Amino acid sequence: MGDSEPRHRLARSRRGGEHVVSRRHPFGRAVRRLPLLGWLLLVWLLLWGTYDAGTVFFGLLVGVLVIGFFPAPPIATDIRLRPFRAGQLLLFLAWDLVVSTVRVAWQAVVRGPRARASIVAVTLLTDSDHLMAMVANAVSLAPGNFVLQIDRANRICYVYALGAGEHATERVRREVLGWERRVVRAVGTAEQVRMVDRNHRSEVG
Amino acid sequence: MSWLDLFSAVCLIAGAMSCLFGAIGLLTFPDVAARLQAATKPQTLGLVLILLGSAVHLELRYASGLILVGLFQALTAPVLAQLVGRAAYRAGSVRHETLDTDHLARRIERERGGSL
Repeated sequence: MGDSEPRHRLARSRRGGEHVVSRRHPFGRAVRRLPLLGWLLLVWLLLWGTYDAGTVFFGLLVGVLVIGFFPAPPIATDIRLRPFRAGQLLLFLAWDLVVSTVRVAWQAVVRGPRARASIVAVTLLTDSDHLMAMVANAVSLAPGNFVLQIDRANRICYVYALGAGEHATERVRREVLGWERRVVRAVGTAEQVRMVDRNHRSEVG
Repeated sequence: MSWLDLFSAVCLIAGAMSCLFGAIGLLTFPDVAARLQAATKPQTLGLVLILLGSAVHLELRYASGLILVGLFQALTAPVLAQLVGRAAYRAGSVRHETLDTDHLARRIERERGGSL
């Protein structure tokens, strides 16, 4: 499909209400960068391993300098963090990492050179850059599956799945949509949550 | 031997096993894409377990850096796998006879035959 494919059309307005904001009120811009500053400060504190006033002060100073000298485009997003659901997502990621590692280890020993695989196209339900990136990362974290190619415009993930077999297509699709559901429940908007829940009910029931 | 030692020992051994099976997979799997699974992923679990096993024996100020190591490993390994996998697919290093289904190839074929 080559590089002619429009994968990042940020300027285009989307149904999800996601768009790049750059020239707004300077105060609003500063407020939107606060989470980034908080994150930089947290990394700084973890690196130093001391939590006194001096470290916090210099952490803030370095954070402000970094943001000032290397400005990243502030991207407005409609992500809402639900701490409980996000915690569930993290636990599930950890659990999946363990299970998948055992599965792939088993395959490596038992099947080895005769291992089979599939590349399956999965169309996601939600239309958002951030959600798609998070779903792709969640799918790719555990051994066995990874996202080989993303077609952003059509919301398609091409997922490589090891140890496929006959019903691979359906299984991989269910797994990826399951990750999407968990990610959306953790950080999606209410509308997106309703959408994935509706789809889940119609598939299960 | 305290419970902490036991926990630590279990974590370290499990982590090392995970890395070992990753290495075995690296040797036995048939192509780049499958080997990538073994090369990038079991190490994530192995590293996290080894960090966990070490961290419980450290003071908080030394252990906090280890959280970052685990976090960045978990964030970067999937991206690495995706980039290498994609490059391998395009370079033709994925052996198609090992694939049961390949939707991507179908699409590329369709686009080559169609508008492109």
